[in-house]
Amino acid sequence: MLSKAIVTRTIAIIIAVIVIAAVAGAAIYMFTRPPMEKPVIRILFASTQLAPPAEQAFMVELLTEFYKETGIDVSFLPFGYVDIANKLEAEIKAGRITVSLVGGLSTEIDFFASKGLLEDLGRFGALGGRTFLEAAIRAVEDHKKIYGITTFVPWMTATFVVVINNKAFDYLPSGLTKDDVVKGTERWTWDAMLAWAKNIYEKTGKRLVGLPAGAGGLLHRLLHGYLYVSYTGYQAQKFNSPEAVQMWGLLKELWRYSHPESTTWSAMADPLLKEDVWLAWDHTARVISALKTSPEKFTVAPVPKGPVGRGYIVVLAGLAIPKGAPNQEEAWKLVEFLTRPSTQARIAERVGFFPVVSEATPAITDPGVKKIAEGVTAQLGARDSIAVAIPPLGGKAGDFIAIYREAFERIVLKGEDIGAVLSGLEPKLKAIFAELKMPEP
Amino acid sequence: MRRVWVFIISMLIIAWITVPITYTILSSFADLVDYYENVLPRRYTLRYYEEYLRLGVGEALVRSVLVGILTIILSMIIGLPAGYAIGRYVFRGRDSLKLAILFFKVIPIAIMAVPLAVLFIRVGLYDTLIGIALIHTAISLPFVVLTASSVFGSVPRDLEEAGYVFGMSGLQVMLRITLPLAAPGIAATALFAFLISWNEIVAAIILSSFNRTLPAAVMTPYVMGTGGELPDPYKFAATTIMVTPALIFMLYIRRYLIAMWGAAGVR
Amino acid sequence: MPSPLRKHIPYILVAPSLAYLAFFISYPIFYTFSLALFGNPSPMVEVMTSPRLGEVALYTTLIIATVIPAQIVIAIFASLFFLNRFRGRELVLYLFIAPLAINEVAAALIWYTMLSSSGFLNKLLINTGVISAPIYFFGYEFIDRTLLAIFLTEVWRATPIVFIIIYAGMQMISRDYLEAADVFGLNLWQKLRYIILPLIKPYIQTALIIRTLFALQVVGPIFILAGEYVRVLATEVVYWYSMRLNPGVASAWALLIGLVTLLLGGLYIKLLRPSAGAT
Repeated sequence: MLSKAIVTRTIAIIIAVIVIAAVAGAAIYMFTRPPMEKPVIRILFASTQLAPPAEQAFMVELLTEFYKETGIDVSFLPFGYVDIANKLEAEIKAGRITVSLVGGLSTEIDFFASKGLLEDLGRFGALGGRTFLEAAIRAVEDHKKIYGITTFVPWMTATFVVVINNKAFDYLPSGLTKDDVVKGTERWTWDAMLAWAKNIYEKTGKRLVGLPAGAGGLLHRLLHGYLYVSYTGYQAQKFNSPEAVQMWGLLKELWRYSHPESTTWSAMADPLLKEDVWLAWDHTARVISALKTSPEKFTVAPVPKGPVGRGYIVVLAGLAIPKGAPNQEEAWKLVEFLTRPSTQARIAERVGFFPVVSEATPAITDPGVKKIAEGVTAQLGARDSIAVAIPPLGGKAGDFIAIYREAFERIVLKGEDIGAVLSGLEPKLKAIFAELKMPEP
Repeated sequence: MRRVWVFIISMLIIAWITVPITYTILSSFADLVDYYENVLPRRYTLRYYEEYLRLGVGEALVRSVLVGILTIILSMIIGLPAGYAIGRYVFRGRDSLKLAILFFKVIPIAIMAVPLAVLFIRVGLYDTLIGIALIHTAISLPFVVLTASSVFGSVPRDLEEAGYVFGMSGLQVMLRITLPLAAPGIAATALFAFLISWNEIVAAIILSSFNRTLPAAVMTPYVMGTGGELPDPYKFAATTIMVTPALIFMLYIRRYLIAMWGAAGVR
Repeated sequence: MPSPLRKHIPYILVAPSLAYLAFFISYPIFYTFSLALFGNPSPMVEVMTSPRLGEVALYTTLIIATVIPAQIVIAIFASLFFLNRFRGRELVLYLFIAPLAINEVAAALIWYTMLSSSGFLNKLLINTGVISAPIYFFGYEFIDRTLLAIFLTEVWRATPIVFIIIYAGMQMISRDYLEAADVFGLNLWQKLRYIILPLIKPYIQTALIIRTLFALQVVGPIFILAGEYVRVLATEVVYWYSMRLNPGVASAWALLIGLVTLLLGGLYIKLLRPSAGAT
């Protein structure tokens, strides 16, 4: 008994000593690391995108090449969007800025710009040897109109698609073929999707449509950028109209065949992989891990169309430099590197975003990414498509989103009267655009 | 009969705790395809851990340990005397003091992020481990003071008085009688301070740039709005990485938590 | 020791803590206050007249009023249980407090994965033929069961904190008292009522205060388990701060958390004053 206690205690002490020695050793190493041979410039690249470890690892790999080329050591750190805003605001207020480059969605950059946190990139001149996509240039121009400066350089683009578990094709409703869905023909409508979901439910007894209606999900984009545009032709202008009422009627019906846990999902990749759902609408970056894990299981399709057309959002990520940031010349070199056609092609291969320069027509080999690229291309190519951009509303973006989410909660979840809810919310929506003196999109 | 009950309850506790934890750890090694197809994974991989390691989780871990230790030391030095005073003395304003100390913890850190970061930059503590430890101390101090006050409050006075009778000085009584008797409670207090620091993420993200702590490094994908796209096994691997060192720490401090039954009663 | 100095000892001992907190947190708190109160309209007024206030009050009360009492009761019985000596006690006790090491968001994710319709428990029960269709805990339609899941997760994760405090208190009870109780033939209930509970009152007070403080600030787990549809004080803070980008209203909600905490804290201190002679 005694000896056992001694043995355990000895082992405990040995482990403790090892742990303490390891920690102390590592600490000493970290703090007394010999200074590098030549002074390297270290810059901090904070990003709201590419946070998952695999994507971060890819960025580290990419930035190592940049280091070899230029001798600039870049630390890539993912942050939440509000965290970056807070950080920049505090650093600028206190006059000691550590972040040299920020990567984020154009809507996020819009918020930073509205708080006056960004440098004017106009002074760096144009980047040669690459042609930015039309939609990307337009977004930069939009910001210029509001803030009077070039707030960002386009970095990557993305959109939303419908991902389909191949099993679902056995349950297609009459009048809809797999070809219609994949190519996005006239017959691939929101009504057809409803009929499909209903058919699946009647044959399998399961509600297999998935929508990202969780706290971190992008459901509001489905509402203002997809359904509203497809049914009314506008994101906000005809918020309360007969066409809108018709649209909400469809969504209410579709919800009856949607998985009840949808209200807790932020991204559709996991529910698709778990086969909780067979038909899911989400952002390309939020479904890509499903397609990379099991490409043979899924098909990517363009979004369905409505009576007016096939509304869809072009999501844009950009690169911006914080006001008064250190090492701005080096940061600009990094911008040049990241938007180079060859780099762009590689980013497309590895993450759920696509190039913003037309020279980067990549020979995509990853089957999952290829599937998404095909879906996106089909969407872009569909004759009836209406591309929209998320309106740059600065600090009001949260209020804009909240109106659509509230309408969803009250109409679809709580079953309130559609007309009453829409008339109640319409003045709030109009007030946002009136206050910003912007035309309603 | 009594032994049977002890056995049943023990088994229930073991199941209640180990089933979720075991599931988490197993899933953190699960092959991605396999994880989604089976009840329990059958093929295993080290992939997620390798990816985290490549992203500098090792360094972040060392930083977190250092911050945690600093937090314990600082919060004990500052907080124990206050806990002793509130636990042992009856003085005017005692209850209001208790509440006042609490009040500092009632506002979520996220709300204070900007002014706090500005303050830290101006004082030169931004992006340093000591800076993070200082704020973690501020966060854990109310708990340290409170717990310590109830611990010191119940150290029997007659034992201390006996010490004086035998001619010990105030300091000797403190070191030889009061502190040993209060050891389990103080261990609990230290444990709280460490765990609060270990799991704190908001301040750690905002107050550091290059020098991220462990939760700031691996938990960012959990934070709302980013990385909703992350497959479950990655999250479980992050959880396992976070939990293991904390469990080891608890393994050591556990000895003090389970002091001799009725330590105060041993005469 | 001269008595005038003696009188000041407690204040001298408390001073470092107060000064420390004041230095680090008072300026940010002041900033929060001004954000919450001033503005046009005042965010505080906006919050107090908000249509969500009722819902928030309901869910906050529901969660606080079920989770915390359950944890106190479980912790007391667990402490009694662990006062027994038995083989493997240390191991079982260690496991019981292990969830302390788990981050709250991670704990919520674990339970979400365990309880979701295609999660571990449902798969297990279906594969073993116990049930034929999955049991749902999550989603707007099942919000009552979601509350149950929140309750389970909170009890699983945060009971150890309460337990450690109360257990530390029980260990302080002199064995003489309990032996005397045995001599007088008191049963377990009487022992609890007349000996143990009065003696561990200060510990219960501390546990209540700390747990309430924590519980009122739980956000991540609720977002993970319930989406945005179980609204409590703390989730409103994050919602207004991160999603609505409105620090004013967020601060006002935060201030409300502060007031509720102080109110409950004061109540605990009043109700659970150590009985005379206990110290």
